[in-house]
Amino acid sequence: MAYVIQILPQILDGLGITFGTFAVTLVFSLPLGALISLGRVSRNQVVRSVFGVYTWVLRGTPLLLQMFFIFFGLPAIGVQLFGRMRLPYVYLAFVLNYAAYFAEIFRSGIQSVEKGQREAARLLGFSSWQMNVKIIWPQVLKKTLPSLGNEVISLVKDTSLVYALGLSEIFKIARSISTRDVTIAPYLVVGVIYLVITAVITQLLKMAEKKVYYEE
Amino acid sequence: MLLSVEGLCKAFKGTQVLNQVSFSVDAGEIVSLLGQSGAGKTTILRCITGLERADSGTICVDGRYVCREQNGVTLQAGKRELFAIRQSLGMVFQSYHLFPHLTVLRNVTLALTDVHGMPKKEAEETAEAMLQSLGLAGKEKQMPYELSGGQKQRVAIARACVVNPKLLCFDEPTAALDPETTDEMVHVIRRLAGQGMGILIISHDMPFVEKVSDRVLRVQAGAICPG
Repeated sequence: MAYVIQILPQILDGLGITFGTFAVTLVFSLPLGALISLGRVSRNQVVRSVFGVYTWVLRGTPLLLQMFFIFFGLPAIGVQLFGRMRLPYVYLAFVLNYAAYFAEIFRSGIQSVEKGQREAARLLGFSSWQMNVKIIWPQVLKKTLPSLGNEVISLVKDTSLVYALGLSEIFKIARSISTRDVTIAPYLVVGVIYLVITAVITQLLKMAEKKVYYEE
Repeated sequence: MLLSVEGLCKAFKGTQVLNQVSFSVDAGEIVSLLGQSGAGKTTILRCITGLERADSGTICVDGRYVCREQNGVTLQAGKRELFAIRQSLGMVFQSYHLFPHLTVLRNVTLALTDVHGMPKKEAEETAEAMLQSLGLAGKEKQMPYELSGGQKQRVAIARACVVNPKLLCFDEPTAALDPETTDEMVHVIRRLAGQGMGILIISHDMPFVEKVSDRVLRVQAGAICPG
């Protein structure tokens, strides 16, 4: 126990990067995913195909590979987006990847809203924007919240991948301590931290689901 | 004349669904289109409301044209014109299509506040009066799933009527109702017509349409049968 208390502050130092990656990804990938999902259900075949290829590539290749491609590959072809900073590349890879997953979830939600809802809204005189904001998307959110929740939980755990670019999040710190002290205790501590974070998020998601719940 | 339909034709993927359909509805008149499933009744309604584009023919609602035959060409109403036409039209769908995430009151007030710009309080008072007149007082805060089929239908009627349409269309209004609720529906529809609203009913329920309608037109294979 004394050992755990001793190493805990070092591990918690990495929480900033873990939470930062989590928060930035959520804040940007959810709206981006919503936009991409609109492209996926567009009446225009070209638009639909372009976004179809996007989601296929981003969901069909590992996030780690995408991180490496963005961090090493883009500068190699002369695209210097963020100089020598590593974190923005991580954020970019996470946002692009998670947006693809969220887009597919939203797409299924949009397509599951009855056609009659749109027709009723149109006959009542709602504009497309009003119809989406007031009628379609509240239903999409209700239908997709459980699947979105799964992705959010996955995102918490995926933040550990940023160690691959040498960033010191909680998993990388635990690995360093484990190597230094020749013990698996730091991994157990990190496991408990992930469990606590996911437990809190699960509760928040439950509350959100309750808030948007209605029977159909 | 509130609604006039002349020479309406519509085909889907080469199959002629409507063939030279012509009829009219006056203000305060209840007209029913009676026919079997697949006869083309719903397509007529969808063309009138602009949810489907007619291939040819003329549809005029309260002096505005949804589509118009001119020199052999069928002109379709633009977005703005369609919006204006839909201000005179109300529609009660077969499966009601209430907004499931909104309370009964919000279902009825949403178009008033968001489309017609009515202040929230005034919209709520208007909606409450409408719900009360349809026997739904006390149901304002309930969600659609908490209502029976008949109650849902009356909410759908309230939602369509609250914006004062001149023509109210019903798609199979008795499809999900028991006989007692069907009789109530006859009274509700008669009362609306008594207020000057033109009513167009699409149904395959012969006893109901004969009880409620001023005129019954039979639709068979996409055409109105003579006599």
